[in-house]
Amino acid sequence: MDVLINLSLNGLATGMLIFLLAAGLTLIFGLMDVLNFAHGGLFAWGAYSGIWIYTATGSFLVGIIGAILTGMLLGILTERWIIKPVYGNHVQQILITLGLMLVLSEMLKVVWGPNQISASTPSYLSGSWEVGGVIIIKYRVFIIAVGLAVFLAVQYVLKKTKIGLVVRAGVMNKEMVQSLGINIQKVFMLVFMIGAGMAALGGMLLGPYSGVIHADMGMEFAILAFIVVVIGGMGSFSGSVMAAILVGLSGSFMAYYVPDLALAANMLLMAVVLIFRPQGLFGAKG
Amino acid sequence: MTRILSNRMNILYLMIAAFLAVLPFVYDSRSLLILLSQVFIFAVLAMSYDILLGYTGIVSFGHAMFFGIGAYTVGVFMKRFEPETSYFLLAVVVTIVLTAVVSYIVGLLTLRLKSHFYAMLTLAFAGLFLVLAEKWRTVTYGNDGFTFRVPEFLRDRTDFYLICLASMVVVFILLKRFTNSPLGKVLQAIRENEQRTESLGYSVLQYKIIASVVSGVLAGIAGILYAVSLRFVNTSVFTMDITLDALLMTIIGGVGTLVGAIIGAGIIEFSHHWLTELAKVHWIFERWIIFFGIIYILVVMFFPMGIVGSLKKLKFSRKKKDSVPVKSETVSQGD
Repeated sequence: MDVLINLSLNGLATGMLIFLLAAGLTLIFGLMDVLNFAHGGLFAWGAYSGIWIYTATGSFLVGIIGAILTGMLLGILTERWIIKPVYGNHVQQILITLGLMLVLSEMLKVVWGPNQISASTPSYLSGSWEVGGVIIIKYRVFIIAVGLAVFLAVQYVLKKTKIGLVVRAGVMNKEMVQSLGINIQKVFMLVFMIGAGMAALGGMLLGPYSGVIHADMGMEFAILAFIVVVIGGMGSFSGSVMAAILVGLSGSFMAYYVPDLALAANMLLMAVVLIFRPQGLFGAKG
Repeated sequence: MTRILSNRMNILYLMIAAFLAVLPFVYDSRSLLILLSQVFIFAVLAMSYDILLGYTGIVSFGHAMFFGIGAYTVGVFMKRFEPETSYFLLAVVVTIVLTAVVSYIVGLLTLRLKSHFYAMLTLAFAGLFLVLAEKWRTVTYGNDGFTFRVPEFLRDRTDFYLICLASMVVVFILLKRFTNSPLGKVLQAIRENEQRTESLGYSVLQYKIIASVVSGVLAGIAGILYAVSLRFVNTSVFTMDITLDALLMTIIGGVGTLVGAIIGAGIIEFSHHWLTELAKVHWIFERWIIFFGIIYILVVMFFPMGIVGSLKKLKFSRKKKDSVPVKSETVSQGD
C-alpha cells in the first residue's frame, strides 16, 4: 500500500510537470498549426533562470515568478522573430524551431556552464508528512497542487471568458474567427506567451524535484510531452492533462516494476494510439 | 561515357574525385586523411537525409537511429565473432535488413499523418533506441561502449580513406540516378504538392515509405563506416547530435541537391575541427555548435535553398536576365 500510494503520487507529480509542458504545446499546435520543437528549450530555460534567481534571492516564490517571466519573454521573442517569418510553411517551421532548441540549450551552457546544477527544496516544502503510516513527500504534493491549479485556471479562462472563447473558436476554425474581425495574431501571441510561461514553470518545479538540472533535460521532457500530445490528441487541452497523468503514472509504475521498459511502454502506447486512433484518445480532429 | 562527359558539372565532379583519390599518395598527413574520411562518411549520411528532406519534403528527427543501428551492428559482429571479412559482410547485410525493416515500420506508422507526426515520432523512436543501447548492457556495454577489431582490409588508414571516398562517390551516383528516375520525380512532386500528386493517381504513402527506406538503409551504411573508422562504438551514435549534424549539413549545404549535402558535410566537419582547436584561445569556441545553430536558423529563414541552391538561383536568374533584356523577373522560390 505504501509503495502503491508513493508510486501514484510520484506518477501524478511527473504527470503534472509533463502536463505543464504539453499543454502549451498542444494549445499552440491547435491554434497556429505550429509544433514548437523549441518548447523543451523554454522548459530548460525556466529551470535554469528560476533556480538561479532562487539561489540569488533565497526566495522560492520569486524564483518561480522569475522563471515564468523568463519563459514568457522568450516566448514572445520566439513568436515574433522565429515563428512569424516562416508562418504557414510546415517544413520550415519544424526545422527552425528545432534550430532554436539547439541554440537555446547551447546558450544555457554558455551562460551557466556545461555542468549540471544542483537545486534544493525550500525548507517549508522539504520533508514529508506521515499519514496513517504512509510517508508522503511534501514537494510532490506541492507539484500536484500547482499543476491542478494551473489546469483549473486555464480551463476556467478557456471555458468562461471571452478570450477563451476566441481561442477555442480559433482552434476550430481560425479563418472564420479572423473574418469576424478578431485579430488572431494577437491571440496567437498571447497563447504562445502563456504556453511558454507554463513550460518555464514546469522546468522550475522540476529542479528541486529531481535535485539537479542540466541543459539536456529540455529534450528529455519534450519527448515525453510529444508522446502526451499525440496520445491526448493534438490541440485538445483537456486531453493533454489526461494523457500527461497517464504517461506520468505508467512511467512511475514501470520504472518501479520493470525499470528497463519505462520509456518503451509509453512509446508502445503512442504507437497503438497512432494506429487505431490517430486523432488521439481525446482529440476531436485528426 | 561521352554523354556523361558532355556535362561540364560532371567533369568537375570527376576531377575533384580524382584529386581526392590521389591526395593520400601526394600529401602525407594522417590527421587530414582521418578528417576527410569523416567528411565522406557524414556526406553519405547527409545525402541520405537529403532524400527525405530535400527530395520528398519529409522532416525526420530520428535519423541517428539508422546510423546507430549500422554502427552497433558492425561493432557487435566484430566483437562477438572474429574480425574477418565474411563477418563484416554479414554485418553489412544485417544492417541493411534491420534499417529497412525499422524505417518501413516507422514510415508505415506515421507517414500517412501530417508532417509533424513523422518529425515527432522519429525523435521519440530514436530516443527509444538510445535507451535500448544504454540498458541492453550484455550486448552494448551500456554508456561506455566498447572497442573492437576490424578486418584486415579496413586496417590501413589510406585504404580506409579510399573506401570511404568510393562509398561516397557510389552513393552520390546511385542517388543521382535515383532522384532523376521516374520514381525520384514522383518524390519531388510529393514535395511540391502532395495533394495534386495524390489526385494524379500516385499512392503517396507508398512513395514516401520507399524514400524513407532508401534513406534509412544509406544512413545505416554511413553508421557502419563511422564505427569502423573509430573502431569503437558507444551510445553517442544514437544521440540527437548525429541527427543535428545531418540536418545542419543538408540545410547549410543546400536541400535537394545532393552536392549540397557533401559540401555541407565538408564545411561542418572542417569547422568543427578548427573551432575545437580555437577553444584553447577562447572558451566560447568550445560551444561552436551555437554558431551553427544561429547560421542554421538564418539559412532556414532567408536562404531556404542553402549554399548550392542559392548559387544555382543566382546563376539561373542571371541567365534569364541576359536572354530577356526587357524585364528581369525574380525567380519565384520553389517552396
